[in-house]
Amino acid sequence: MSTQNLEQKLKTYRLSDEEYKLMTGLLGREPQTVEWALFSALWSEHCSYKSSKIHLRKFSFRNEKTPEMDGENAGVVDLGFGERIAFKMESHNHPSFIEPVQGAATGVGGILRDIFTMGARPMMSANYLCFGEAEAPRMKELMRGVVKGISSYGNCVGVPTVTGQTNIHSKYNKNILVNALNVGYFGPGQKMALSNASGPGNLVVYVGAKTGRDGVHGASMASESFDENSEAKRPNVQIGDPFFEKLLIEACLEVLEKDYVVAMQDMGAAGLTSSSFEMASKGQVGLVIDLKKVPLRDSSMTAEDILLSESQERMLLVCAPKNFEPLQKTFKKWGLDAAILGEVQKNRKVKLMWGVEILTDMDPDLIVEKAPRYERPFNKWDFPRRTDRLTTPSNFNAKSWIDKALNNFKLNQFHWIHNQYDQRVGARTAAACDSAVAFARLDHSGRGLGLVVGCRPEVMMMDAEIGALDAVYYPAFQLAIKGAEALAVTDCLNYGNPQKLELMSEFVASVDAIAKASREINAPVISGNVSFYNETLGENIISTPATGLVGLRESVEDIIPDQFGSAFQSLVLVQMNWVESWVHVMAADEKISLFKQNVTCDVPQFIKRCAQMDQEFQKQNNFVTSIKAVGLGGIATTCLKMTTDLVGFDLSFDQVNTKSEDLFKDTFYGFILATEDLDTALDFLKKHFKGLAVDIKKIGETTDQKICLTKDAELDFKDFRNRFMKGL
Amino acid sequence: MSLKVGITRFLGTNCDEDVRKWVLSKSATATYLWYEDQFNVKDYDMVIIPGGFSYGDYLRCGALAAQTPVMKSVKEFAQKEKPILGICNGFQILCESGLLPGALLANSEQRFKDQWVELEVKQNKNPFAKQTSNGQVLKLPIAHGMGNYYADSETLKKLSDQNQIWLTYKDNPNGALLNIAGITNEKHNICGLMPHPERANAPWMGSSDGAFFL
Amino acid sequence: MKVGIKIMPRDVILDTQGRAVENSMKANGFELQSCRVGKFLELSLVTADQIKAQADVEKMLKQGGLYNPLIEKFEIQFM
Repeated sequence: MSTQNLEQKLKTYRLSDEEYKLMTGLLGREPQTVEWALFSALWSEHCSYKSSKIHLRKFSFRNEKTPEMDGENAGVVDLGFGERIAFKMESHNHPSFIEPVQGAATGVGGILRDIFTMGARPMMSANYLCFGEAEAPRMKELMRGVVKGISSYGNCVGVPTVTGQTNIHSKYNKNILVNALNVGYFGPGQKMALSNASGPGNLVVYVGAKTGRDGVHGASMASESFDENSEAKRPNVQIGDPFFEKLLIEACLEVLEKDYVVAMQDMGAAGLTSSSFEMASKGQVGLVIDLKKVPLRDSSMTAEDILLSESQERMLLVCAPKNFEPLQKTFKKWGLDAAILGEVQKNRKVKLMWGVEILTDMDPDLIVEKAPRYERPFNKWDFPRRTDRLTTPSNFNAKSWIDKALNNFKLNQFHWIHNQYDQRVGARTAAACDSAVAFARLDHSGRGLGLVVGCRPEVMMMDAEIGALDAVYYPAFQLAIKGAEALAVTDCLNYGNPQKLELMSEFVASVDAIAKASREINAPVISGNVSFYNETLGENIISTPATGLVGLRESVEDIIPDQFGSAFQSLVLVQMNWVESWVHVMAADEKISLFKQNVTCDVPQFIKRCAQMDQEFQKQNNFVTSIKAVGLGGIATTCLKMTTDLVGFDLSFDQVNTKSEDLFKDTFYGFILATEDLDTALDFLKKHFKGLAVDIKKIGETTDQKICLTKDAELDFKDFRNRFMKGL
Repeated sequence: MSLKVGITRFLGTNCDEDVRKWVLSKSATATYLWYEDQFNVKDYDMVIIPGGFSYGDYLRCGALAAQTPVMKSVKEFAQKEKPILGICNGFQILCESGLLPGALLANSEQRFKDQWVELEVKQNKNPFAKQTSNGQVLKLPIAHGMGNYYADSETLKKLSDQNQIWLTYKDNPNGALLNIAGITNEKHNICGLMPHPERANAPWMGSSDGAFFL
Repeated sequence: MKVGIKIMPRDVILDTQGRAVENSMKANGFELQSCRVGKFLELSLVTADQIKAQADVEKMLKQGGLYNPLIEKFEIQFM
């Protein structure tokens, strides 16, 4: 092949020179026919994790509740009482930027499949979104479109969307983030399905929607940064059909229950290619597949088109020959096709046929196991913004800061987003989008499963290591104050270009920090996803390691709400000073704060002690009526978020010692509670947190439709509430 | 002998299991009625058509479900004046089948809405309102994109005059005419409502008012 | 002047509505090969000039977001 020809091929298939050499070395020859496409898809960053794999090994910590599920689709947590959950988070950033409704919808569909492919019934959905400023080009359309996509898909498929986080920052103007999370449930005795093919002679079966040209070359797109031509790019947008997905869920769970299935894998990124090669590689067996047998929507498709198609709502499974007929009958009942594509063979090769023509006969390990593993250069993290002396920002004006934040959606309830999600289908929801932490009732034991997402981009901007620790600590803390101890973590690591030294350094620092925090709180990182190249014309996003945490609460009864209940109650703050900064205040002016860190603080111990509080509250007649973790923007911003249309607050209680800016200072971590019985509350808290370096004090009171920050700064209550609740 | 309830199941129905749990919590028996099969109307005391997205809400909400074999039996069940409850998509299916008058259009704000609503009981003469009293206020959740009840003025007059308006919204969330959240047929045995009583069956759910309906 | 615009999904794009309607009709015994579902817009324009009307409508389509070129195609029909 001429050099020019080769250059063109490498460009088309997005492989580097080194990867080409590696590929030909492994094959022992030039790649032929579809092999270019196979390597292109499976060696893309999105499928192979080539820039991250060596670091992701740091998430190997497991405990007795989290069995090793090496290479499986989602992580599993054993909750006891015969109950287990599977959960995972995934990104769909690049497709959502191109077509927000379908990009977000297919993101939801994809993560659902990762869950039910294991035999778990999807139970709760969540999302983590990062948008640019509302005034940035296309941003309003992107925001509305993404929310529409998530809601239309999630609602139709019948899984409640119970929690999420929406972040707004100019760094996402050209690269939005759309991460979708799902938790699935296994009841007592319910079988789990694995994805390793086995049993020579067993059939390889294709089920679900017919294959079309959707998203051909999609996996490679996710691995590539946007350039000037992105807007003009018109890939064949993958269309998700939640109705079809609902049928697929029912049919798959039914055949798994009836034990007709040996192994199952969903066709996600790189469709049939990844599912077939991965099933074979994991199972250490071979497969023979005739691509002519794939049910097609478009009969003009070539073998390569078929292999790379990302048509949605399709699964690949392995079953014993005797089970095919009843399996097909079950799928037919649900209106779905089941077609035999081939069979499992002992000879450890994946043989792809086009009728009688052999397209490739390859050892799957060459592509899967032997995929490149890059050791991208990075520097050790050295806390560039840590300081001993933190100076207060000058000229801070609380009212104008709040005004600005309300205008640019940095201070918003996002009610307009949440009320487009069906939060209660399933009749299990005890707490949803109104609170930071969602809870659903587990069917068998009646206990409450808590779910929360984490990662605060502004903290990440300040420091990648602190921000990554925070991405685990803070949601664990939020779970704890509602009475749930964190059990496990999933993540979606959204970063820019890993070939840039400073960004790779942030990535490594983040992974190390998340691994450390997860060990400290005894909540293993059991699944996850990496999205690199969130970059446009050289500009990168804030490094954003989004997380999802689950926790368990004794029951779903009497969960204390985030919002104020009634006026004339006392507000008490309990706070540990691990990190102090002015993150949120300075972010309003697009500045990055320095921070002070107290390394002697035992954050995990504080979190643990908090988790024991809720049961005590219940024993003592529920003297706490609201409780919320202090978020960015300090106690003032948190109180603003706790207001309702009837109840406000007054923080001018102890104005001798407090400057208005101190009300907005960021101190990690603290919580605010509202109580009718101040003395009991203070007594209890002092006893409960004995031995820990925490501050406990009254900070103010709830009011009847008034908001008072300091004696000189009172807000117009109705105006604030209207603007806080306004939507797009 | 406990109440025998049949619960229809179409492709895409997703509140079937919720309704089944609700029925069982009331010590009644629950059997799924598969859309492809007709059933013997003598076998059941009550039929519930649950909510969800039958056929993905494609073409029109409830339109494709209304054309299925099971609905033939449901119509027979209706003729026998036995109780039928349609919840959300179930209400839409009853309208598309002609078992209830009117239609459910897109919410006036053109968006799906998930929220709690306060309803006023306008008539308690149907089998699902027996435990409530006229004027009682109930708190139930809604979750729908097409809950905007529409009927022509003649039909609306008939509904009013014949005491067929069952539940109204205190604060109309979707533009429904006459604030209609639920109606019955002339004989008051076929009842449809947009809110979800099966999602308000215990305090931890946010309200127990749904328990009054069964 | 009244102008109609027929907006259909692009041929390569999966039409989820069409698929559901097709399957339902077939299941009920109707003779149908396939079905695709789109939408029809009826626009009332001030102008009576067909050439200007065509230009105005195309502007609404391409710049006004009346259709999504990624997943839809259109056909203008003068009524």
